[in-house]
Amino acid sequence: MIQMINLTKRFGPLVAVDHINLHVKKGEIFGFLGPNGAGKTTTIKMLTGLLKPTSGRALVDEYDVVTHSMEGKRVVGFIPDQPFLYEKLTGIEFLRFIGSLFGMKRDEIQWGISQLLDLFELDGWGDELIESYSHGMKQRLVMSAALLHDPKVIIVDEPMVGLDPKGINLVKRIFRQKSQEGVTIFLSTHTLEIAQQLCHRLGIINRGKLIAVGTLSELMKALEDKTGQRGTLEALFLALTGKSLDE
Amino acid sequence: MHRQARDLIRPVVMAILALLFWVVIFVLFYKVLVYFKSIEILGEILLAKLMAVIFLTFFLMLTVSNIITSLSTYFLSEDTRLILSIPVSTEKVYLSKYLITLGHSSWMVLLFGIPVFTAYGSVYGAPITYYLWFTVILLVFLLTPGGIGVMISMSLVNLVPARRAKGVLVVLFILLLAALYLFFRFLQPEKLVNPEKFSELVDYLAMMKLPTSPFLPSHWATRSLFPLLKGRFEDSMFYFLLLFSTGLMSILTGSWICRFLYYRGWSRSYESREVKMKGTPLLEGVFDFLMRPFHGSTQAMAMKDVKTFLRDTRQWSQLILLFALVVVYLFNFKALPLNKVASISFYLENTISFLNVGLAGFVLSAVAVRFIYPAISLEGKSFWIMMSSPIELRRFIWCKFSTSLIPLLLLAEALIILSNTFLHVTQFMMVISTVTIFLITIAIVSMGIGIGAVYPRFRFEDVAQIHSGFGGLIYMIICVTFIGLVILLEAWPTYLIFMARIGHGSLSFFQWIEVIFCFCLTTLIILTAIFMPIKIGLKRLSRIEI
Repeated sequence: MIQMINLTKRFGPLVAVDHINLHVKKGEIFGFLGPNGAGKTTTIKMLTGLLKPTSGRALVDEYDVVTHSMEGKRVVGFIPDQPFLYEKLTGIEFLRFIGSLFGMKRDEIQWGISQLLDLFELDGWGDELIESYSHGMKQRLVMSAALLHDPKVIIVDEPMVGLDPKGINLVKRIFRQKSQEGVTIFLSTHTLEIAQQLCHRLGIINRGKLIAVGTLSELMKALEDKTGQRGTLEALFLALTGKSLDE
Repeated sequence: MHRQARDLIRPVVMAILALLFWVVIFVLFYKVLVYFKSIEILGEILLAKLMAVIFLTFFLMLTVSNIITSLSTYFLSEDTRLILSIPVSTEKVYLSKYLITLGHSSWMVLLFGIPVFTAYGSVYGAPITYYLWFTVILLVFLLTPGGIGVMISMSLVNLVPARRAKGVLVVLFILLLAALYLFFRFLQPEKLVNPEKFSELVDYLAMMKLPTSPFLPSHWATRSLFPLLKGRFEDSMFYFLLLFSTGLMSILTGSWICRFLYYRGWSRSYESREVKMKGTPLLEGVFDFLMRPFHGSTQAMAMKDVKTFLRDTRQWSQLILLFALVVVYLFNFKALPLNKVASISFYLENTISFLNVGLAGFVLSAVAVRFIYPAISLEGKSFWIMMSSPIELRRFIWCKFSTSLIPLLLLAEALIILSNTFLHVTQFMMVISTVTIFLITIAIVSMGIGIGAVYPRFRFEDVAQIHSGFGGLIYMIICVTFIGLVILLEAWPTYLIFMARIGHGSLSFFQWIEVIFCFCLTTLIILTAIFMPIKIGLKRLSRIEI
């Protein structure tokens, strides 16, 4: 469903993403891990059309994100880490706006809005200006907007930022359910616990290079082979990104 | 390297343009002042009166501008929350914000005032001390409207919370009407240009000698600056000290008022945020009807822009200034005493009607640089939504174009039709000017959107930062050049047709060729100005990465 072929992004002399090759299957929840500045957000931005790759290709549902960007964007629901929204619109107006951008019919939009506001516990807030929402509420509204058009792929950058424990639990439940329905979820996160609980497979990126890919048990086995001892995902993460637990 | 070169070029271009602006203003004023000075008996009085008018205009403009700016700097800016949470005294916050407010609202007056008062000095051959003193007087003059502006907005916010768009709007609107009324009553411009209305020359002289208002700082500034033109330092001192002490007093009073009202007003602005929207069925109904022929996503984008605009207090305060500009513009045409001699008046009215197209074009450019040029940048940090949605940038940019075009066209045609009605122009001139302004407006909007896309600024704290940057300046220059070119090219064929109609004759073969050539060239320029900027803007926007 998501394919990256030698995907590269340079900013002047800096290689932010360095020849990444990856394939994420339909219905899979893929966790993209890495330290700050490793290239996670840059990769996500390339997948969602916010950045153009310097070289290589990225395909979403077999659509090249550069040559067939419109078709690609139509099947993606994107949830960024910072919920910058149109603050002078109400929640309902914003969702209506997003639905129209994705070419949905009025009655479909209306039905979707009532379902999602209820699901994300925003009913009662729909007629209020977004500027009065808390960070967590804005994040939940962005998630509603990303799910409104029933996407085949959900791309999430730091999904749990600003959410309370109840919200985190809700999002985890929704992601699992979507995955069972065949939706592919590509999520980047710092929270190893979330990755451990949610993801079918994990990829670790460091300094623009994808240094490890596999299921949690495959990665643990690789760590065991390398260090001779069993450990946690945190230990693995630190070992691969060049840091020790003491640091 | 590319960016470094661009960073170096920008300030140089800005400096050259500012210098050019100064030179043009200086030359214009120098010529006007030399002419006034040459008029016997009246010359000196006229020059003093003109200076008083300039200072009074500055004073009222500065006061309104300081009220609007201080609302932003003291109550709506992002840094206020942080500043109020750290242990800094209210007086210090007041003073630092006062200086920011003063800078934001007064730079235009300084930019305009320096060449004007330099021209005064040159006409009078004033001593070198005059040039030093007028700078000091001008700076001191800024203090009082700054203090008054802050005091008014402090009191205002305690009456009507800053974030309540409509409430603030109504109060500001009333203040503006009051300012306009005072302005016209103090100046009585219709009397200035109508000396024959006075039965005796003595009456006219007496009116001219009357001070605009002896209690206003603008009067004190005139009385302290005018004597310096002839090196009469001792006549100037009293009024200068009056101006200076009032300026300091306004700062102190502001600080005192701030101690009582600032925190209360700031916290009130948060307590009563207008967040619940009851829906706008009428607006949405009208909008749905108007936008029916367009694609659903285009409708949605246009509706989003309209709603965002109508709910943004910052935009409304600028709209109030626009209203003032239009009132003053139309008042000028109503007050013009053109109907004194029938034959001269006929030519004059029609010539002025033609020049009016150019003037209206400049007014529209000034409006467009504030409201249309920022249209792309106003997407702000939310631009990721557009970029990640399946919306062609072409549709996005043309949508911005059409949403901006309709209100500006309405304004343009209203300006031209009303001013032409006041001027009693011929039907031919009415048709020519309404068609020309129609096409010019489309081009102004297209250039605004296109250049706005070339110089987008998605990260800003104050909307004014968008249009006051380098791109805004480039846009204004291109607009002014374009309007000048269109008016120049249309002047000759219009004159030929107009004269032929008056003389009940017809145009010769060569005159027809001239007319057709000029109109074709004008059409070509207008079409280029409509399509080229959008094309360039689109190309630039498609390369943007966020």
